[in-house]
Amino acid sequence: MKKVLATILTCGLILGSLAGCGKGTGSTSASTPASTPASGSSSTVTNTDSKTPTDRPADHVTLKMYLEGSNVTDDTAVLQKVNEYLDEKLNVTLQPIWGTWGDFDQGAVLSLQGAEDVDIYFTCSWTLNEYNQFARDGYYVRLDNPDNNLIEKYGKDILNLLPEVLIKGSTIEGADGYGIYAVNGYKDIACQNCWDVNVDLLKKYGYTIEDIEKADYYSFGDILAKVKAGEGDNFYPLLIEGAVLERMVDNSIIVAGDSGSNNLLSYYINPKKTSDQGAYGNKILNKFATDEFMKFCKQTREYYLKGYIDPDMANPEKANTVRADKQLTGQYLIGTQSYSLGYEIQASKERGFEVAMVPTTPAYVDTTSSQGAMMAISTASKNPDRAMMFLNLLNTDPYLFTLLDYGVEGIHYNLNNIGEAVFTAERDNYMPWTNGLGNVTLLPPQEGQGADFWDTFKAYYGNADEIPILGFTFNSENVSNEFAALANVAAEYVLPLCTGAVDPTEKIPEFLTKLEKNGMQKVVDEANKQLSSFLASQGK
Amino acid sequence: MSEIKIRKRNRLQSVSLPAEIIINLLVGGFALLCILPFIFVIIISFSSEESIRLIGYSFRPLEWSTAAYKFVFDMGSQLWISYFNSFFVSTVGTLISLLMCVLYAYALFRKDFKYRKFFTFFVFFTMLFGGGLAPTYMVCKQMLGLSDNYAALIVPALVNPFFIIIMRTFLQTSVPTELIEAASIDGSGEYNTLFRIIIPISKPGIATVALLTVINYWNDWFLAMLYIREPKFYPLQYLLMKAQNQADFLIKNSSVIGVEATKLLRDLPGTSLRMSLVVFIVVPIACAYPFFQRYIISGLTIGSVKG
Repeated sequence: MKKVLATILTCGLILGSLAGCGKGTGSTSASTPASTPASGSSSTVTNTDSKTPTDRPADHVTLKMYLEGSNVTDDTAVLQKVNEYLDEKLNVTLQPIWGTWGDFDQGAVLSLQGAEDVDIYFTCSWTLNEYNQFARDGYYVRLDNPDNNLIEKYGKDILNLLPEVLIKGSTIEGADGYGIYAVNGYKDIACQNCWDVNVDLLKKYGYTIEDIEKADYYSFGDILAKVKAGEGDNFYPLLIEGAVLERMVDNSIIVAGDSGSNNLLSYYINPKKTSDQGAYGNKILNKFATDEFMKFCKQTREYYLKGYIDPDMANPEKANTVRADKQLTGQYLIGTQSYSLGYEIQASKERGFEVAMVPTTPAYVDTTSSQGAMMAISTASKNPDRAMMFLNLLNTDPYLFTLLDYGVEGIHYNLNNIGEAVFTAERDNYMPWTNGLGNVTLLPPQEGQGADFWDTFKAYYGNADEIPILGFTFNSENVSNEFAALANVAAEYVLPLCTGAVDPTEKIPEFLTKLEKNGMQKVVDEANKQLSSFLASQGK
Repeated sequence: MSEIKIRKRNRLQSVSLPAEIIINLLVGGFALLCILPFIFVIIISFSSEESIRLIGYSFRPLEWSTAAYKFVFDMGSQLWISYFNSFFVSTVGTLISLLMCVLYAYALFRKDFKYRKFFTFFVFFTMLFGGGLAPTYMVCKQMLGLSDNYAALIVPALVNPFFIIIMRTFLQTSVPTELIEAASIDGSGEYNTLFRIIIPISKPGIATVALLTVINYWNDWFLAMLYIREPKFYPLQYLLMKAQNQADFLIKNSSVIGVEATKLLRDLPGTSLRMSLVVFIVVPIACAYPFFQRYIISGLTIGSVKG
């Protein structure tokens, strides 16, 4: 009996361990970072005082900063210089915690909930320590609190440097009232979806980029048919990300605060002028019930049946990797791509053929994109004042920011004759996530971006229009049960519908019935209620 | 003597030929199911990235390659540091954990222990209810200072209520109380009884728990994720987990991170590399198993009380 027991036990063990192995297909974190092309900047990095000469406080403090997306194995050289500088300026020692894509979510949330003595956290609309949620729950210090206005006292310089839309996007209803709970990073803050066009292939079939610009999704048919016929059965000319394609075609956008539910809620923007109201006005809709959605799905289904869309795109497990590979090898004609400035040049270089981006709307700023990367001061911080001083310096001082992001000049990068930064091999050991650090316009451009890169950058992003409901974030607390149920329903239908893998005339009604049964209307009503009170508070 | 034994066993265990074939097929099939995933992992680790990209995972890749292993060896010190960490934590952790487990279980097993009921409940209760992640984290990190040291990888997993219950049950079913009485009559003290009499005859139970504990420590990445920020303390599993998490996170959020995500993803280790790391992780623990098995089989057949 005992023997049997022991055997069963051991069997269970082996099974358990094997199962563990099967799953644990993770891999080493020691990735080889592709060395980013370096670049130079026109602005020479100077070591001058920032505009407001802060008096160096008398007591010495250590600030801990929890960052996202880092790839840092050796920070001694950088920190030594950074701390020398900070000591002299603010009497501060900086201790960064280099969170990575894999561990930041869990680590930062626990650290916040455990009230650890970390002063500054990276936060945004898409990590687990989500800005709106955690500001509401009182984890972040309100920076413009009338009782203790940190921005007014120590952070005025930041406000001058950031575009106004950013401040607007980060002003939210938090635990201490309506205000700013984090300092925005100035990165690629605008959204713009583009058709990613393989120009070499397009030309091979006698078309030009103008043909794509003139056409829209519903009139791509002829071009796609011709290329499909020429390239053979295993070639799929449309390389799409289902949900993105739907947004591009129907001009619907994500509603901030809705990321948990497969983005059930949709707001419709005006594709000509994004600061104006769209076809449905300032309303949030169940987009699956709209006529556009049916029309879009039917067209997509037609393309799918004709073999223009790879069936792999409907498989959530494979879609992303397959798409990335096909992009890289040029096995597509028209793809979907969210754009960032200069991407067509970078993509052409990476993929080895000419890539063009044809935008479907002007660039716009919505709540999600304006909250793309921020720095919040924790309410558990013992030195919020000093943290604010540091954030102010970091976001306004090119020397400090470049040092912290690019590393030490001469070790991690060198400047070429036009002032672009060229990275050395050492840079592989020190690669923080640039966009997660703050005001990236303080950096010298990287090699190949051109000396006037940041001027173009500021012109493009600084002038992007804001959508009418910028700053609105949906709070799903009141409908959290419905939300969870709806998310499951959406997970089942959205991707197959948006990639044409199923018949819309049959599946959409079925989908809608299920949504209705699980309280979709209640969620939409709740969202609209919140939206109208938000708009009322904005005086719109 | 031995002849009789064998004949007896044969008669008792003999089955008809068709039944034997079916049983063998079933068990063989089951064994195959267990071992196949691992063989698959090995094959993938030797596939070229190109082949994975073109035809996906396959038992017959288009092209074989040892590039992943070369990369792992070139990765330099981190791999070996992590290997050492995993070995160190598994060994030290298992030894201490076993000691605590046996001591606790033995006390629960002794019927003359006054607070037996309370301590049984005490350990059983934690099996059913936990304090939650955030409070655990606070206690470990802020009160106990388990942060960026080996203790952080060992201490939180030291006492496992499930193993204690297994151990106690094992002692109850296999150690006769007469033995303890006999020992005390012969003048053996409590510690002497435990370490020289009870433990030697409990080897099968201890080996089972030891194996479970070793695997527990060896496979653990969660503690490292919570409490370790310095790469020099990363265990092997965490290296693997981290890269997997990074890839998953970037894929999930690629639409918000935008163009950058694609580039970041490409910098992460490829699939074959991850699989080769899995091989690195599995081989040592698979080798440890036969060592424990010896005790599990031999121990059980030895009786301790005659008559």
